[in-house]
Amino acid sequence: MSLKILIVDDEAHIRMLIEQSLEELEDEGVEFYTAENGEMALEVIKEETPDLIFLDVMMPKLNGMEVCRRVKQEMGLSQIYIVLLTAKGQESDRQKGLDVGADIYMTKPFDPELLLEKARDVLQLP
Amino acid sequence: MAKISIKAILRKEDTLRLWLDNWCTHNKTEVCISDPSGKVVYGNPDLLHDSLSIPLITGDAIVARVWSKSNVLNQVWDVLNMLITKESEKRKLGAEVLHLYQELNIIYGFAESLGEAISTQAIAEITLAHSTNSIPADAGIITLWEEKEKTLAVPAVTGEQLFDLDLLAKNTSFLFQIVLNGQSGIITDIEAIKKLGLVAPNVTNLIYASLKGKDQIMGAIVLAGTRSEPFTAAHLKLLVTLALQSSSAIESALLFEKNLTEIRMREEAMQRINEVIKKFVPNEFISSLGKKNITDVRLGDQVEKIVTVLFTDIRDFTTLSERMSPEENFRFVSSFNEILGPIIREHKGFINQYLGDSIMAIFPNRPQDAVLASIGMQRAVRTLNRQRKEQGLPLINAGIGMHTGPLIMGITGDEHRLDAATISDTVNTASRIESLTKYYQSPLLMSEDTVKRIPNNSNLAFRRLGKVLLKGKNNALSVVECMNGLQESISTKRKENLEDFDKAMELYQQRKFENAIALFNKVLDSDPEDHTVKVFLKNAEKYLNQGAPKNWNGAEEMLYK
Repeated sequence: MSLKILIVDDEAHIRMLIEQSLEELEDEGVEFYTAENGEMALEVIKEETPDLIFLDVMMPKLNGMEVCRRVKQEMGLSQIYIVLLTAKGQESDRQKGLDVGADIYMTKPFDPELLLEKARDVLQLP
Repeated sequence: MAKISIKAILRKEDTLRLWLDNWCTHNKTEVCISDPSGKVVYGNPDLLHDSLSIPLITGDAIVARVWSKSNVLNQVWDVLNMLITKESEKRKLGAEVLHLYQELNIIYGFAESLGEAISTQAIAEITLAHSTNSIPADAGIITLWEEKEKTLAVPAVTGEQLFDLDLLAKNTSFLFQIVLNGQSGIITDIEAIKKLGLVAPNVTNLIYASLKGKDQIMGAIVLAGTRSEPFTAAHLKLLVTLALQSSSAIESALLFEKNLTEIRMREEAMQRINEVIKKFVPNEFISSLGKKNITDVRLGDQVEKIVTVLFTDIRDFTTLSERMSPEENFRFVSSFNEILGPIIREHKGFINQYLGDSIMAIFPNRPQDAVLASIGMQRAVRTLNRQRKEQGLPLINAGIGMHTGPLIMGITGDEHRLDAATISDTVNTASRIESLTKYYQSPLLMSEDTVKRIPNNSNLAFRRLGKVLLKGKNNALSVVECMNGLQESISTKRKENLEDFDKAMELYQQRKFENAIALFNKVLDSDPEDHTVKVFLKNAEKYLNQGAPKNWNGAEEMLYK
């Protein structure tokens, strides 16, 4: 089965940016999925069970925190690695995010190289 | 940019497979799509052997091949080619956005680090670090114009040793050229610069951006590269952006440093002024007014306090000064004051005023402070006299008088000229008592008002000299002499004679002049140096012969000041 990354953000350009940052992984057989709100994200998660999720916190229709909580606590999918993404200056959310089960927390604007590095690390790609 | 994968397109465009299926069924034919490795991603693999194929190409890479035996091939190719072109354009755009985002990230991170730096030095270092991180340079320097020294300083250097700083310092024309033109650019023709030895021989090109303030050029950032590919316009654009941010940070830092220096200079000046003022207006005076600093003092500030006011005066100063030049006179008075000043301060008093050869001091705490200071001053004068005697100079006689009473210390004058002033009858009285030292031939006199405030256990020995009626005053003042400051042998004798003296004074005031004269003579026989007794003896003899004045109540009437 191929490795899957889900990118969840309500802003199209951020989805594009993340996908673009991770582009080279596509060559290595990683599949990308995107969702523009929490509800859509949950649907993709149910169908595809991704290995890694880049999850924006502030989104309409179910925010990232709630998605994270459901995935980790209700759906029993704790093996999915979740990277919470939030705007700079909202660092107070950090603990809240970790409390609902997020594995790591990154602030936007993120460093594209760091993002790729993290993805390789989580997916155990060389 | 990563290659476009046909497999990913088939996955992403979820209706593509369905359309291909339908299209083939509709045309009653088969189509097969293979990826560049020859692996089939759609359709019947058998087609690879005996049918026609057309490659799908983006740029110069084959993305896929479409295989078919019918002319459906062209139509499928058209659709796939459209999708691949779309994907390729999307990627190109994506790559550009990512690039911009990366730059934004660099600038954002740079702004963040700049926010933590205050000094130009730190800002220069951070600027260089960020510039060389985001632009592939092998070395960099930042040069800033030092307005004060009129030189170009190099506050930050990074990377390999590609710049010769010593030569740059000596041969500033290169940096000047860059700084003064106030522009930004890439220098690929650097042979001339290399010839001067300013940069290492392996440097291939330089990139620079000026650091501009609001209305002046402050300096420049110069990066050097040793690689074969030169710096690009994109690098220059980024460097200019970084330089722009750095400039405003440096400008505020310079302003901050300038303000800091000015504040420090102002503070130092204030301190110097305060130190000078302290010598003119005693700190104690200012603090008595409840103020911390002379600058807090306002016209009309005042405070009333019970204090002891002390006056000293050099006896027969006029005679003494006649023998000296004005300069010698001044030096003499100064050296005298230099001896007495510290003694006054030591006993918690402060000098309110120097009045030529006399001093007015205030003791705001205990009256005995003033008495003890006077004793110290008498000793100091004796020491001085021993030296003067050796040098064959005339001896100095000083009189000290004091009075304790309420005193108003305040600031008078007008808005243009203020002065610290003491307004009080206490000052007048103290001054009068000081002048009585001449009349009574006694070096240290005070009022009863001072003595009554001194505790009995003070070890001070006093001799009451009766009352005086000062000119213009209605109440007679009791005058007291302190015997402690006298030479040990003299003060011992006076203390022994005190009982007789007191008795004689009592008789004198009771107009029993004959008996008084007898006792005064007894005291004088034992202590021929007691000039005070001589004064009373003379008065008593006069009153005995001529009769005491009308209404005489024992008080000496002082008609002169």
